[in-house]
Amino acid sequence: MKAIEVKNLTKVYGNIIAVDNVTFFVEEGEIFSLLGPNGAGKTTTVEIIEGIRNADKGEVKIFGKNLNDEIKEKMGILPQEFQSMERLNVKETLEYFASFYRKSIDIDELIEMVGLKEKEKELYKNLSGGQKRLLGVAMALVNDPSLIFLDEPTTGLDPKARRNIWNVIMEMKEKGKTIFLTTHYMEEAEYLADKVAIMHRGKIVAMDEPYRLIEKYGSGARIIVETVDGKKEFKARDEKEVVRIIGELQEKYEKIEIKRANLEDVFLKLTGEGLG
Amino acid sequence: MRIKGIAWEIKASIKNWYRNKGSVFWTFAFPVLLILLFGEIFSGGNDGYTIYIQDMDDSFASQAFIDAMENISAVKVKIIGKDANVQEYAKEHAVLRIPEGFYNAIVSRQQCNFTLYIDPSQHQTNSVIISFISSIVDKMNLEMNNASVIVGYKIEEVVAKGFEYIDFFVPGIIGMTVMTSAIYGSIEVYVKYRKRGLLKKLLTTSFKRGEWIFAKMVYQLLINFFSAIVILAVGIAVFHLKASFNFTSVLIIIAASFAFTGIGMIIARFVNEEETADSAASAITFPMMFLAGTFFPLEIMPSFLQTIAKILPLYYVNEGLRNAMIYHDANAAMLNAVVIATFAIIVFGIGAVLTNWKEE
Repeated sequence: MKAIEVKNLTKVYGNIIAVDNVTFFVEEGEIFSLLGPNGAGKTTTVEIIEGIRNADKGEVKIFGKNLNDEIKEKMGILPQEFQSMERLNVKETLEYFASFYRKSIDIDELIEMVGLKEKEKELYKNLSGGQKRLLGVAMALVNDPSLIFLDEPTTGLDPKARRNIWNVIMEMKEKGKTIFLTTHYMEEAEYLADKVAIMHRGKIVAMDEPYRLIEKYGSGARIIVETVDGKKEFKARDEKEVVRIIGELQEKYEKIEIKRANLEDVFLKLTGEGLG
Repeated sequence: MRIKGIAWEIKASIKNWYRNKGSVFWTFAFPVLLILLFGEIFSGGNDGYTIYIQDMDDSFASQAFIDAMENISAVKVKIIGKDANVQEYAKEHAVLRIPEGFYNAIVSRQQCNFTLYIDPSQHQTNSVIISFISSIVDKMNLEMNNASVIVGYKIEEVVAKGFEYIDFFVPGIIGMTVMTSAIYGSIEVYVKYRKRGLLKKLLTTSFKRGEWIFAKMVYQLLINFFSAIVILAVGIAVFHLKASFNFTSVLIIIAASFAFTGIGMIIARFVNEEETADSAASAITFPMMFLAGTFFPLEIMPSFLQTIAKILPLYYVNEGLRNAMIYHDANAAMLNAVVIATFAIIVFGIGAVLTNWKEE
């Protein structure tokens, strides 16, 4: 069964088409990433799926059904820029959110899993940015959901904090959960996602597994060579070509740098703009 | 009904409240401070009016006058010596000098004048003192002329005997606290919850909006009753307040909590930023606080302001609480309760409908 099916979704604000006839689906058990710059329409799309906003047109099915209370029990959500109550501690925050669901997982185990055991009694307002976000992710897991929505879970975090969140996400995937990840970090999508949908100005411009997208739209690799005469740049379509070009140089270089194509290049190619 | 969710929402709100020193201050400490402060300032009337009397005559007649003054319960008479510096004493309280030869003047039926030394800036106290003195002087004159009183008057106090400013003040402070805590509380909740994504989060659960509003209302009522009890207890303990809660006053506090929460919800619906919401709340609560007879009786205000006061919900809360708690005028209190409850149903209804979790 498909975890999410979105058909011809459209949302208009005044003259702006925030979401423009978007269609996609998410398979059960995969990490699906909606990638795009700020203002591309990612959050509007995900919030329509979650039932926070109404669509102007289109259809959303979750586990084959329209959103209802029974479906909501199977969903865990971290809204964008979410901030919890300032003066509840970590454990209380999770117990508070768990109280809104029929089903709840063991809160102590959850705290352990996201690595906040030591901060269990710390008030929300005293947590660091990374700890707050970890707690936010934990909050999305209190009801043991099958489908997890994380909207920009690592925005503004340092690499270590980001890595902590990625680990939790990978652990969830191993448990067979479906994860809908919204991000504007291409390396996050590339690292985590089984499938990436690139969103630009309300439209999905490409959708596939990350490496296929890179293969299809990325321009191979760039080899930047510094010799005594100066800098030279070569382009290689694939790995074989990289080896061939380097071989031809016969070690007549001082420094060599190989830049593999990534989702950033894909995005640039598809939209003519950077991810920002 | 998600009992667990409702219980946790109330519990979380209370924890979030008592861990915030600011909110505890504004709901408890601030009203209590106001009572202590205003109670102290205005209970000055308890000591009555002090007057110094310098008796230069030292006669049977001058003593009779002093006794008459001392018989006025509101007047405290202090005798100063014949060689005391009158100017110095007059800086403190009015000084009345009974001249030498007062007795002889009476016997020989000649005019004799007292001298009253006063500080002109104390005009209110002065006029009271002068009226006391002249009432005794008039009486003396009448008696000595063997005349009788033709036109008299009788005073009947409307408020049961023994009530003081503090009795008037405490119900006003309860009304004010219910208003501010409900308006600011609901703004805090509705604007902050929206800003922080909490409303979004709640929307994605099967917890219902009605259940949530219910939980928030229970919390608001708990806080309001708690602070009302503290305020009343301080009033009784420190100022021997002669007031108590009864059915109607409880009803008024409940209705007022709903009414002011409704106002807060309406403000929160149209204001997105916390700071703007706070200013909007101040713009409503401050004028209402002063105009609705919280600190002083409406009667001392110009008539057009009195008319304005009568369209303010807080006026009916204050009046109702006073009627219920002090004057024990059950009918008037119930009428105020009905007015405020009707207003509450309308405003809270509008507020609840406007409180939309969904985003545009």
